[in-house]
Amino acid sequence: MAPRNKTVPPGDAPRVIDQGSVWILVAAPSIWAAHFLLSYWVAAIWCAKLGRGTTLMEPRWIIAGLGALCIAAIIGLAVLAIRRYGGVFVIIEEITESSERARDRFVGHVALLLCVLSAVAILFTVIPGMVLGEC
Amino acid sequence: MTQEIDLSKLPPAEPYDKARDEAQRARLMKVWKTPTGWRRISAVNNSSVGKWYLLTSFAFFTFAGFLALLIRAQLAVPNNDLLSQSLYNQLFTLHGTAMMFLFAVPIFEAVAILILPEILGARDLPFPRLSAFGYWCFLIGGLFVCGSVFFGVAPDGGWFMYTPLSSDPDYSGLGADIWLLGLSFIEVSSIAAAVELIVGVLKSRPPGMRLNLIPLYCWYVLVVAGMILFAFPPLIAGDLLLEMERAFNWAFFDPDRGGDPLLWQHLFWIFGHPEVYIIFLPSIALIATILPTFAGRPMVGHSWIVLSAVGVAFLSFGLWVHHMFTTGLPEISLSFFSAASEAVAVPTGIQIFCFIATMLVSKVRRSVPMLFAGGALAIFVFGGLTGVMVALVPFDWQAHDSYFVVAHLHYTLIGGMLFPLFAGVHYWYPFVTQKRMSDKLGRWSFWLMFGGFNLAFLPMHWTGVMGMPRRVWTYDVSDGWAVLNMVSTIGAFIFASGFVVLAVNVLWPRGKAPLVERNLWNAGTMEWSAEVPDKPWGVRSIPYIHTRYPLWEQKELLGEMDRGEWFLPDAEEGKRELIITDILDARPLYVQRVGGPSYLTLGSAFCLGAVFILATFHLWTLTLLFGAGFIGFTLWWLWTGTSEIPEKPEKEAGRGLVLPTYAQGNNSPGWWAVFITMTGDMTAFMGLVFSYFFYWTALPDFLPGAARLPGFGWLLVGLALLLAGWVTALLARERLTAGGTGQAMALLVAGVPLGALGIGAWGWAARSAGFDPTETSFDATVWVLILWMGLHLLLDAVMRLYVAARVWRSRCTPRYRADSVNLTLFTHFLALTAVVIFALLALFPMLMGVV
Repeated sequence: MAPRNKTVPPGDAPRVIDQGSVWILVAAPSIWAAHFLLSYWVAAIWCAKLGRGTTLMEPRWIIAGLGALCIAAIIGLAVLAIRRYGGVFVIIEEITESSERARDRFVGHVALLLCVLSAVAILFTVIPGMVLGEC
Repeated sequence: MTQEIDLSKLPPAEPYDKARDEAQRARLMKVWKTPTGWRRISAVNNSSVGKWYLLTSFAFFTFAGFLALLIRAQLAVPNNDLLSQSLYNQLFTLHGTAMMFLFAVPIFEAVAILILPEILGARDLPFPRLSAFGYWCFLIGGLFVCGSVFFGVAPDGGWFMYTPLSSDPDYSGLGADIWLLGLSFIEVSSIAAAVELIVGVLKSRPPGMRLNLIPLYCWYVLVVAGMILFAFPPLIAGDLLLEMERAFNWAFFDPDRGGDPLLWQHLFWIFGHPEVYIIFLPSIALIATILPTFAGRPMVGHSWIVLSAVGVAFLSFGLWVHHMFTTGLPEISLSFFSAASEAVAVPTGIQIFCFIATMLVSKVRRSVPMLFAGGALAIFVFGGLTGVMVALVPFDWQAHDSYFVVAHLHYTLIGGMLFPLFAGVHYWYPFVTQKRMSDKLGRWSFWLMFGGFNLAFLPMHWTGVMGMPRRVWTYDVSDGWAVLNMVSTIGAFIFASGFVVLAVNVLWPRGKAPLVERNLWNAGTMEWSAEVPDKPWGVRSIPYIHTRYPLWEQKELLGEMDRGEWFLPDAEEGKRELIITDILDARPLYVQRVGGPSYLTLGSAFCLGAVFILATFHLWTLTLLFGAGFIGFTLWWLWTGTSEIPEKPEKEAGRGLVLPTYAQGNNSPGWWAVFITMTGDMTAFMGLVFSYFFYWTALPDFLPGAARLPGFGWLLVGLALLLAGWVTALLARERLTAGGTGQAMALLVAGVPLGALGIGAWGWAARSAGFDPTETSFDATVWVLILWMGLHLLLDAVMRLYVAARVWRSRCTPRYRADSVNLTLFTHFLALTAVVIFALLALFPMLMGVV
């Protein structure tokens, strides 16, 4: 490692991963992305391998089940954002204080908002699965 | 955190000493001086490169705009024969291509390179020579692509180059190759800029600028650069497949040989749709920066805007199929993408509401930048609403490929991208030139462009609904589109006249005009801290930031910075220095030394450009020669300009802060650059993996019978050898750390034959099973995966020999071993690639029952 003076802080990467500080921002939308791609693949492969006019009953429940799982995971993330980061769901925020706690609260706040957006987007994806009956 | 440095409790600055201040300024000036005369082309500083980038992008914009006027002239009256059909095809293809690839994306990089370091209170971005390299690549590639029209060989297959029109040499000539190779080359420069900007925002922030204090502009830059990293590589993968088919007849898109033209559309739009947001977000970021200044208060809902930027970035990757609604995909697939296309309107709308809220709660000062920003919002909202319409599958089936879509996309792009950019031009012009633009001309240009734009594009909604298809060369009077087209043409010329007024306003020589006062708009962000007249060093001393709008909220800051009371106020060692900070709280980590003016990057970009251009004409010997030149220049640049062992292990950075002068591993920007580049590389690889599974889904008999599979044994041997090569890199790093430089060198070099043998075993496995890439899509896919691995192994070999040489010459030592650490990181990705390819070639067919 580089020579270090006592006043020099340690490297940042382990902290980022240990606390999940930045990753929590992208976690919820990543879950949306995973659900979206899985739903797309399940439906696409189902329709490609079984042909047009096939009923979509099974993929429907796979997509809905995945959606429920993913939303549960997002709720878990939201709880983490509230409890560990101190995120709050308010319209006007002014988390401008220069402190580690404020930085955490800011990350928590944005993460919480992203959880809501991702959950809504997952519901958007589930709707067509519920409506369309066949390929 | 126990080891936290409390930046607010640093010892006070030493009392002001005029002689010391002047001496420090003189030393800084000497170090950061921009070369003069023709030597200026060797400059790498962000203020020079940024300006060139900006002017070049606008030059391409003017060129593409001129093509648009020709298109409009051709369509002004029915049965017009002003242009030949072949030329018309070239014009609209080049118009779209140049606007997208040579203007919209590069201008984001240009603006970011120009203002990001200053907004961050930094002296430069962490890799100035990389910015310069990217710029030269962009210039050469752009001239090549645009110049082709003067020889009548410009690409003519539409800006999305659909197969099989573009893959069949009977229908498409040299133009398609120029498009593919020229743009691949420009994509290299975009990815270079993305790496630069991500590391810039994450690691080059001023001490104290925690995540919650980062200006909105920087959030947008971070998000957009991240998007580039995931959006551009799939297109590079697609370009590779298409060029292999065009040049060597490999079977990727030809249905007769088990290929599928739709694959290109997927790969293109996985890039193409996020690209729309890659263009839109950085421009909206300009409004987010300008608005608080004229509102005189912080943005309402700062974190909501961060949320929308991140949210849009993700959702925009779930939209690509909405360009393919009429390709016959199952309706269930279409509806997923329709749903995501509607969902993306939510975060996009949130940003607009935040802007409106900020304007509502404050009294907005009237100014030309705000005029453009207001016009932008009006036009963009209109385009967004038609976007919600075409996101609905049944409506899109009606409007697809009609002028309605032309109208929609121009409303979103001109409202979402061009007008905010013009607002930015008026706003930052005094920052760049220290002179003021004419407000009167500014207002004239706005109203001409705003009026002309609406006159040109509003009628297109009706021409589209009345059935006029995109890209038609001419039409008949009986079609009933004549009046509307004439109106559009008049509007287009009025719009162009507005741009001419703007260009005159920008380029007007203002040599004798008085300099502007410092921070003339009374803005809160750091770029306005620049002294008047401007200095090449960016900031006199790098400040401690603990607010979101430092110039409003840290009243003493300007004086403290000017007196050199903050960090790195001097350049005693005669080196260009930056402070690298940590991602979360921007705690100072180390002092980075960056390279100064250099011709090496220029030589490197020139050779790489020659490689792409010569490959277009299949001049393989010269291509190889220039390829060697590119490697030579790049290695020379790296050898002399990176990971230099410092003359002392640490230095006083001011205010009692002592920082190391060398970093390795994840403390160093270089490590992050490798990590980010390789993430992009993996995305391109994922494009190939996607192709494999796409074929498997779309074709009933993609996987051949057991007799025609590559030999499992040879594949396994190859994998073992490749993984052994990876282990040598790990061991080399360990041995080097322990002081065994000889062993480290031996291990590094030993990895080269291991890689060669490994890829040889894979090649043999495919060859002995009789695989011919021109035969079927499976054969071609197998070979392209092996080729991908082979190209990476070549790079790996060059890097290993380079690091071994660095160890040999004691430029990479047990104590200072960044090169070795970065190489190891690269080999991690290589090993992962090898394992995935093995799974695709050996395991997946087995899993699917082909034994």
